[in-house]
Amino acid sequence: MKAWRISFAASGILLGLFGVFRLLTEVPVGNLVVLAGWMIGAVVIHDGILSPAVIAVGWFIGRAVPARGRRYVQGGLIAGGLITAVAIPLILRAGQEPPSKAILQQSFGGNLTILLGLVAAASLVLYALRVARDTRNTRSAKTAAGAEPSPERL
Amino acid sequence: MLAIFFGTCFVTGLLSHYQYQPWAWLPEPASPVWLYRVTQGTHVITGIATLPLVLVKLWSVYPNLFRWPAVTSLKHAAERLSVFVLVASALVQLTTGFLNVLNWYAWPWDFVAVHRFLAYVLIGSILLHVGLKLPDIRYGLQARLPQADVLTETPWDQNPLAHSNAGEVPPPPTPALTRRGVLVAAGAGVGAVVVTSIGQTVAPLEPVGLLAVRQWNKGPQRVPVNTTAQQAGVQAVAVDQRWTLQVNGRTPFTVTLAELDDLARSEADLPITCVEGWSVGAHWRGIPLLDLVARAGGDAGSRVEVISLQQGSQFARSTVLGPQVSAALLATHLNGERLNLDHGYPLRLIAPNRAGVLNTKWLARIEVV
Repeated sequence: MKAWRISFAASGILLGLFGVFRLLTEVPVGNLVVLAGWMIGAVVIHDGILSPAVIAVGWFIGRAVPARGRRYVQGGLIAGGLITAVAIPLILRAGQEPPSKAILQQSFGGNLTILLGLVAAASLVLYALRVARDTRNTRSAKTAAGAEPSPERL
Repeated sequence: MLAIFFGTCFVTGLLSHYQYQPWAWLPEPASPVWLYRVTQGTHVITGIATLPLVLVKLWSVYPNLFRWPAVTSLKHAAERLSVFVLVASALVQLTTGFLNVLNWYAWPWDFVAVHRFLAYVLIGSILLHVGLKLPDIRYGLQARLPQADVLTETPWDQNPLAHSNAGEVPPPPTPALTRRGVLVAAGAGVGAVVVTSIGQTVAPLEPVGLLAVRQWNKGPQRVPVNTTAQQAGVQAVAVDQRWTLQVNGRTPFTVTLAELDDLARSEADLPITCVEGWSVGAHWRGIPLLDLVARAGGDAGSRVEVISLQQGSQFARSTVLGPQVSAALLATHLNGERLNLDHGYPLRLIAPNRAGVLNTKWLARIEVV
């Protein structure tokens, strides 16, 4: 284990330093400053804005959505949120290049709506199945209780 | 999973870099013709799938950001710094890679160089991270889910707070999505992204390409274009009636388009593959490059430079080496029609297993070395 850990860490450090060396020697200083800004900005946007926003949504769901439906709302939002994250740049960038490049010629806003509709439908179907299963279980529990009264069920 | 995805991107990325700067003693092979199509398609779709996956991963470890005390030792500080480098380089690498596919150049630097150097930094920091976390990884892969508690900064066996050290602890009741539920939902989201994006590479999935960046059937002659004649500034010179192809070698000569048309009897089915991940199979007609090379006094072992009418672009010329010299075609026709101006009229290079941008368009001159 220790040998593995050391070889992973050592090769990682060497490769990383090689990358830093190539960046420092081959990229103009002005661009490196902008690159550093991108890297710090990416972490700040993710840790400072995106993650707290997701926590806020989760907190709201915890208060507003009853326990039985909660996991279906959460699951739908996770899947839909990830799809939206990829689709947003497409929407922002659509139609900005000459048509013969055949790039970003779709109505991605409409396409995203279709995909999110499918995600919502799938979540609803799973929720409906859960409700149906609960109802059936309650009914069979009642029948069992009626035929053979047991103290635990009363 | 993320390690596999990042590793795949790294290896296919290096293969793509080799397309641009091969060693003279080890030229790119000419077969299989679809090799670059597969490796670069994999590179781009894996990168796109990794973007949402990284968001899920970072979400699951987000609480660790607020561990207190923030830094317990110099070693701990170094580890947290390496995690910062890992997270920052991963986010920037994936975002800029995706924006580059969209032709959205929102940065001042040379994308190709920085993407490659940052990949070394990213893969290096992943290797370091794996080395540091190896005991946790091993424990996490062995443990059954309800007992596992791997999201700790100290190895689990030194951590008194880990479930596993407190004996059998029942998992906390979750009146919400379980860990497995999160994985299923994230898998569904990432899967939907992959299926609706990959139509730009895998033709049968084009009809469901709701998030596909390129649609090959919308391009002229059902092939997309990466640089148009207007962007290359060749609209006037490429359609000039006096155009001729200059071939330099031991016995230099020039040919007109009419003469080339008489010679254009060879046909080939070759895909055109862009570094941005899209690709499409196409039917080409033209003259084998080797025919003109031989007429200029060269042979299959020659190094051939093809030079475009385009000015001032690093891709206005490219080198054909090794097996590709015999396999390359100088195309006059595409999918049964005269080559469209945006596809390189009057004459372009097309070779198997070759990055699209190296299949030089609007040819003016060929140098046989």
